[in-house]
Amino acid sequence: MNGGDIAAIFQGAIVTVTLSLIGILIGLPIGLGLALLRWANLPFAAKVVTLYVSILRATPLVTLLLLLFFALPNIGVPINPISAAILALVMNTSAFNCEVWRSALMNFPRDQYEAAQSVGMRAGQRFRRIVLPQIVRVSLPGLVNEMSLLIKVTPVLAVVGVVDITRAAVRIGAQTYEPLPPFLVAVALYAPIVFALVSLQRWIERRQIAAEAVA
Amino acid sequence: MAEASKVLDVAGVSKRFGDIEVLSDVSFQVDKGETICVLGPSGSGKSTLLRCINWLERPDAGQIYLNGERVGINNAGIVMGDRELSKIRTHIGMVFQHFALWPHLTVLQNLMEAPVQVQRRPKAEVRDEALALLAKVGLGDKRDAFPAKLSGGQKQRVGIARALAMRPDLLLFDEPTSALDPELVGEVLVVMRDLAREGMTMVIVTHEMAFARDAATRVLLLDRGRVVETGSPDKFFSSPDTERARQFLQRYAGDIANGRR
Amino acid sequence: MIHDFGIVWSERALLLSGLANTAILSTLSAAAALLLGFVVTPALMSKRPAVSGSARLFVDGMRCVPFLLFAYIVYYGFPSFGIRLDNWTAGLAALTIYNAAYMAEILRGAWAVQPREPIEAGIAFGFSEIRLFRRIILPPLLLSAGPVIGNQMIQIIKDSAFLTIIALPELTHAASSIQSRHYVPFAAFITAVFLYWGLCLIIEAGVSSIGRVAEARR
Repeated sequence: MNGGDIAAIFQGAIVTVTLSLIGILIGLPIGLGLALLRWANLPFAAKVVTLYVSILRATPLVTLLLLLFFALPNIGVPINPISAAILALVMNTSAFNCEVWRSALMNFPRDQYEAAQSVGMRAGQRFRRIVLPQIVRVSLPGLVNEMSLLIKVTPVLAVVGVVDITRAAVRIGAQTYEPLPPFLVAVALYAPIVFALVSLQRWIERRQIAAEAVA
Repeated sequence: MAEASKVLDVAGVSKRFGDIEVLSDVSFQVDKGETICVLGPSGSGKSTLLRCINWLERPDAGQIYLNGERVGINNAGIVMGDRELSKIRTHIGMVFQHFALWPHLTVLQNLMEAPVQVQRRPKAEVRDEALALLAKVGLGDKRDAFPAKLSGGQKQRVGIARALAMRPDLLLFDEPTSALDPELVGEVLVVMRDLAREGMTMVIVTHEMAFARDAATRVLLLDRGRVVETGSPDKFFSSPDTERARQFLQRYAGDIANGRR
Repeated sequence: MIHDFGIVWSERALLLSGLANTAILSTLSAAAALLLGFVVTPALMSKRPAVSGSARLFVDGMRCVPFLLFAYIVYYGFPSFGIRLDNWTAGLAALTIYNAAYMAEILRGAWAVQPREPIEAGIAFGFSEIRLFRRIILPPLLLSAGPVIGNQMIQIIKDSAFLTIIALPELTHAASSIQSRHYVPFAAFITAVFLYWGLCLIIEAGVSSIGRVAEARR
């Protein structure tokens, strides 16, 4: 394995991080939207969301990705590997995020909401100024946890040919007949990213516990 | 070798936790049928003393004999392992401050668990005895309930029945009513008073002064790890020998007079 | 479209064998991971820094590595050390080792919230060693950890799908094979998705009944 190989893996890392960020950034608000649909209890929408979340949380990402990549062209929707990858990541992570947001919404203290109503705040204001800031705080550990999980499933993109860290490593291994060294380099790239997110999550949790202790 | 009539012989027991000497040279003996109440302010080492008797805590010095047999150190002078200790512990019953019932078992199963699993007694015989004990403590109808669904007083009565199911030579009570709401204390003390009257050998760590005065055959006052005074309850509560005992009683005298304890 | 599902139906033997492989693989590795977890958890809580440090390294390490990469390492990397594994063994090993770390964390968390007094009562009543563990410590621990272990099982089922990359004939691999031979991607993969969903619902039902058993005793 030479310098060019390592550079190839680092290029894969750029792809991994980029696609992860896109998946996270799109998945967060969609997850919130799904949670709100259920929380607001709109009759048809709530049931659809429940079904969607339940199925998506039970579906392996690789199966979902293969489904999207092969089935969409079949029904007339052309799709390239990167778009299929982003779509699969977003669908998957939004379902898990939905549950995190929903738990925060369900545990939201009712009397705070009523206090906002009693001072005449309109629905949009109530949500933006009272509900949202607090559920963001409460959901943060769970959402960061989900981000670290998302990074850990990005290798699946290799299955449809996206050259992320894993696929770059596999390629090199296939060329050099020494699979282990590139895999170890790959681990060395994934681990710090995931570890940083896990540490961030623990730090957030510790700060919240401390804040609650003072209050 | 201690005298055979003594159920419990505690000699020179000391224990320290870190820098603090929790027990200093504690000695006393218990005859069959006696009810010893161990009294003292918080932090005096009462619970630690009790837990040393069945080696839940390991004494740093001293000897403990149950019916003449040494607890914790075997004949070869080596510290006993789990299995040897286990055999001795089956002869000592213990009732815990926070009840310590096994949450995954029903009331009846709680009573039967140790006699069947540890003493290897036949299930049918254990079951009959367990049902009789439950009736004795007034909880026959709760036999299939889980501990979580019982009140504190009920849980403790089950705790006492569970200890009795082992047919112990000695019963240890570690502040059995301290965790109970006041109105639930009475139902537990009634059971304990009956046991004392029936001749059970008991060592009770408690704050219930009125109970100690009524039910104890002897009272032991512990302060900062030492035995300050010991004697009959009548003498102790009316005219104690030591100044320390007098101070202790003064703090609680009001409580006794008001019937609060 | 109906025609496509008809094709999938005609290949149901392959699909069902894939489902069976997924179910068996997941169950075996979940059980093995739990057993391994019982070994790692005491190591995590050990007072000897060498032991607890290594255990912590293992657990944190597995949590920072993507499973698919770990599966590749086990399958392709182990031969470098002279250990040749077939894909079933490699898959089972990867799933087990990876999830043992998670099981150890779960057990550690459950043990931390376990009240100590009933266990002390067990000791006072003469329970010791294996009997103490089996009858006094274990049942409440499993009841309390049940739901989290159930979630981990669902995670294992989903991780098993990654093993299609090493050509392990599990459910996703079967669906892939059907779609590549008959060009029925939607029907094949949607069927697989619903079969995974079914497995998940079964586990959630199991977790619910454990939850009810635990609730009665709480």
